[in-house]
Amino acid sequence: MDASEVEFLAEKETVKIIPNFSLDKIYLIGGDLGPFNPGLPVDVPVWLALNLKQRQKCRIVPPAWMDVDKLEEMRDLERKEDTFTPVPSPYYMELTKLLLNYASDNIPKADEIRTLVKDIWDTRIAKLRLSADSFISQLEAHAKLDNLTLMEINTIRAFLLDSLNCMYKLRSNQQPGSSKGQFTDF
Amino acid sequence: MDTQSYLPVQPGVGMEENFLSLDDILLSHERLPIRTECSFPRLGFLDKSSDSQDIPEGTKMELPLWLSKGLYEKKRRVLSVELPKVYREGWRTVFNADPNVVDLHKMGPYYYGLGSQMLHFDSPENPEIAQTLLQTFMGRFRRNMDSSQNAYNEDTSALVERLDCLEKALFSSGQSGLNSFQSWEKGRASQLTASSLVLNYRKRKINDIQP
Repeated sequence: MDASEVEFLAEKETVKIIPNFSLDKIYLIGGDLGPFNPGLPVDVPVWLALNLKQRQKCRIVPPAWMDVDKLEEMRDLERKEDTFTPVPSPYYMELTKLLLNYASDNIPKADEIRTLVKDIWDTRIAKLRLSADSFISQLEAHAKLDNLTLMEINTIRAFLLDSLNCMYKLRSNQQPGSSKGQFTDF
Repeated sequence: MDTQSYLPVQPGVGMEENFLSLDDILLSHERLPIRTECSFPRLGFLDKSSDSQDIPEGTKMELPLWLSKGLYEKKRRVLSVELPKVYREGWRTVFNADPNVVDLHKMGPYYYGLGSQMLHFDSPENPEIAQTLLQTFMGRFRRNMDSSQNAYNEDTSALVERLDCLEKALFSSGQSGLNSFQSWEKGRASQLTASSLVLNYRKRKINDIQP
């Protein structure tokens, strides 16, 4: 899976916007949106919010978790705990990048938020690598991926799956009696 | 996303080889030290060191893996295969002590593949060989993962030069994950680029086709 495909999935998340135009309810396959009234906040998917924002038709209200104090708290918790802590949104990385790139004027302290989210991301990736290593070295057969987001899994997926595949084959060497290990005569 | 004009077949790694894998074809040409258990009449030309017409019983020579595997039979002793020295007791202790210091490219470069293939030859040390292969892989995993996931936009030749072919393939899949994430983060993923197939495609001239 490509990172941009993960981003595409993230664009289905809803975000609150304050439009500056009026429009009746619009009926789409994915659900009904609106009605839009100037000054009244309304929930729309991120892709629509960004499109309206680029045409300067709305102001984006940042999600509640996109706040310096809350993110600092989360970062400290993430650093303290050995396991993965719950994240505010399953697409926190993608949403931060999208919203900060296109609507940084609507988000207070955009730069600090960017740094904090990056810190959280780095801590989590380091943990992910640590747990992948212990997963391999203890010859575990399954792992619980609680609180991991799609983007995080996606960065390590290709490598981890290929390694597990190799390891499975090297492990099956140890049981030469199994029918898979027998080589067919030419 | 990296696109290739063909999809290479992955090596089989274990006891079975993948017929269409280029790595496994190269692997099957690795030379193994063997000892003949019966005489091979009129095959003396295979052994360049002697002038006799036949290969007598008890000759020590090297044969490629594919040939030794074909000739080896448990019931009719045609030849016996000796372990290459990287799989012997002495080197196994080294691998068990610290697998990270070993230059597997020099040892192999198909250390894991050849080691798994050695299990066909019913040596009494088979369980230890299989165990060492697995331990070596596990021991080297962390370093391989860290280097493949961190080396962004830099020369990786120093990192991969000591890796076995199998580990090199893993390294590049780790790099592809890292690169796709980094290019997304930098906003490069949203730009459309022409496929490498299109770029490589040149218009054929009629003169090239007709002899």
